[in-house]
Amino acid sequence: MHTLRRGFLAGVLASLVLALLDFVTDGAPGNGFPGVLRWFGLTVADPTLSRWVGLLLLLVLGGAFGLLFGALQRGKLMTTGRALLTGLAHGVLWWLLLEVVLASITNHTPAPINLNFANFLSSFPLAVLFGILLGAIFMQWQGYYGSRQRS
Amino acid sequence: MSISSSAHKPQGAAATASQEGVMAPPITLSERSSTGLALLRILVGYLWFQQLFWKLPPTFAGLYSYVVRESQHAILPGYGTLLQHTFLAGCPSLSSPKGCTAFVPLAACVWSAELLVAISLLFGLFTRFGALLATVLSVQLYVGLAYTEWIWTYGMLVLLALVFVAVPAGRRLGVDLWLTPRLEAAGQHHRLARIASWFV
Repeated sequence: MHTLRRGFLAGVLASLVLALLDFVTDGAPGNGFPGVLRWFGLTVADPTLSRWVGLLLLLVLGGAFGLLFGALQRGKLMTTGRALLTGLAHGVLWWLLLEVVLASITNHTPAPINLNFANFLSSFPLAVLFGILLGAIFMQWQGYYGSRQRS
Repeated sequence: MSISSSAHKPQGAAATASQEGVMAPPITLSERSSTGLALLRILVGYLWFQQLFWKLPPTFAGLYSYVVRESQHAILPGYGTLLQHTFLAGCPSLSSPKGCTAFVPLAACVWSAELLVAISLLFGLFTRFGALLATVLSVQLYVGLAYTEWIWTYGMLVLLALVFVAVPAGRRLGVDLWLTPRLEAAGQHHRLARIASWFV
């Protein structure tokens, strides 16, 4: 499997796991998806449509980060440690870019970085989780497809 | 099980057939099952993570009413008294933690333990340790709150945590994927690494 495609699919799956988290929260499932739209300053009036568009955008973003992950590997075999570390770096980048900078700009906050403890706690670990999942899924597929190619 | 048919087989085969009869067949988790369990681990970790937000530091005020309830309805005799002399020591009111001497430091311990469980299960980092800690916390909730709500919900929480003590669910989609072979290799020479390898 080509590295880019594997990265893309790993990114989509990792963001799908993030989306799944919204189904074990209190309240109606999918309520967190419109938050993805708010990173870009978008709002959709219809709540159902807003959830679906938010989910789609989350998957697209996951795929984009996965593509970046795949592109950085340049077709080389990765060790587990390197996959997880690179994934972690992608998670931190996700948090900085989307949850901090972009969200601050589109919400027109006076400071570019507007964080309190609760905001940090609700966003940073999940962004890191995305990164770890991206690296781990990419790594597990590498082992799977590597062994299939060898046999 | 039949051993009569093995009389016509070579001795080795007869022994194998006999072993098949008396020994339980080994269980091997497939890659899909392991990954599925890892996904469940993440979802359970998120449940713990989400419950951090209604009792945030520095006051941990959300926890107070639950500790009061535990002190009044615990299923173990003496547990309520223990809570009254630790968490609720010196508390002038049952509606607010203001004035309590030990509530904030002890609540900080509970909150930190729950944060550890969430991090451990979400990231698959020393997952079995996290699950063990989750079991202890769940048992505590069961003892303190089971009479105030549906008993089985807290019982299920204990059982769910025990599943992840039993199954190494962090070795897929988690950091334990990287830690396990290293700790096992180091465990052949270092006792501490061997002990740490029990928790991945």
